[in-house]
Amino acid sequence: MFQNLTVFETAYAMAVHASQRQAVIAQNVANADTPGFVGRDLVPFQEVYASDGANRSFQRATREGHLLGGSPENLEGIMREDRTLASPDGNTVSLETEMLRATDANRQYDRSLAIYRSALNILRSSLGRQ
Amino acid sequence: MNELAKALDVSTSGLRAQSSRLRNLSENISNADTPGYRRKTIPFRTEFDAGNGVSKVEVGRVSLDDRAPERIYDPSHPMADDTGYYDGSNVDLLIELADARQAQRSYEANLKMFEQARQMSTSLLQLLRR
Repeated sequence: MFQNLTVFETAYAMAVHASQRQAVIAQNVANADTPGFVGRDLVPFQEVYASDGANRSFQRATREGHLLGGSPENLEGIMREDRTLASPDGNTVSLETEMLRATDANRQYDRSLAIYRSALNILRSSLGRQ
Repeated sequence: MNELAKALDVSTSGLRAQSSRLRNLSENISNADTPGYRRKTIPFRTEFDAGNGVSKVEVGRVSLDDRAPERIYDPSHPMADDTGYYDGSNVDLLIELADARQAQRSYEANLKMFEQARQMSTSLLQLLRR
C-alpha cells in the first residue's frame, strides 16, 4: 500500500485540474469584453480520469504540454464554446456562467485538498504520531 | 509557471484593461461640454502570452470617434459661425454611463477571480501547517 499511494496521486491530479480550470476561467473573465473572443472550458475531471484509467501510475494531465507550456489552441481537453451563441460583437463569454464555473472549480480544489489532508492524517496516525 | 499564478496574472491584465477603459470614459464624460472634443474609444484585444500559454487582454491604440459633433445654436459664442452655430462635443452621456457601468461590472468579476485564485493558493499552503 505504501509503495503506491494512488489516493495522493488522484487528489493531486484533481487539484491540478481544478487550478487549470481556474486559469481558463480567469482568461474568459478577463476577455469578457474583447470582441470576437470565444470562451473555453476544460473537460470535467471525471471524464479525464475515466479516459486515463489504464495509466494510473503517472499524474493525469488534462492536455499534452500543460506542464511544458505551449499553445492552448486546439489541444485535447479544451472545449470551445459555440460561436452561434455569441453576442453581436462575436464574444461568447457570459459572466454569470463563468462565476458558476469558478465556484465549481473552487469546490473541486477544496475537495481535493481535503482528501489529501485526510489521507495524510491516516498516514500520520499509522506512524503513531498524532 | 504555476496554474494559479497564471490565473492571477490573467486577472490582473483584466483589471488593468478595465481600469484604463474607465479612465478613458471619465475623460470623455468630463469633456462632454468642451467645444470640438471628440470622444475617445479604446479597443480590447486578446494577447496570447506564449511564455505562460495564456490569453491576456490588452488595450489597443486610442482612436477618436468620427460621429458628427452636436451643433449648438449660440450666436454670442466666440466660436459661432455666420449662422450662429458652433460645434460641441460628440460625447453622448447615456452611452458613456452605460459603458462605465459595464466596465465596473467586468472589473468586479476580474477582482472576484483574482480573490478566488489567491484564496486557493492560500488553502494549498495550509497543507504545510499542522
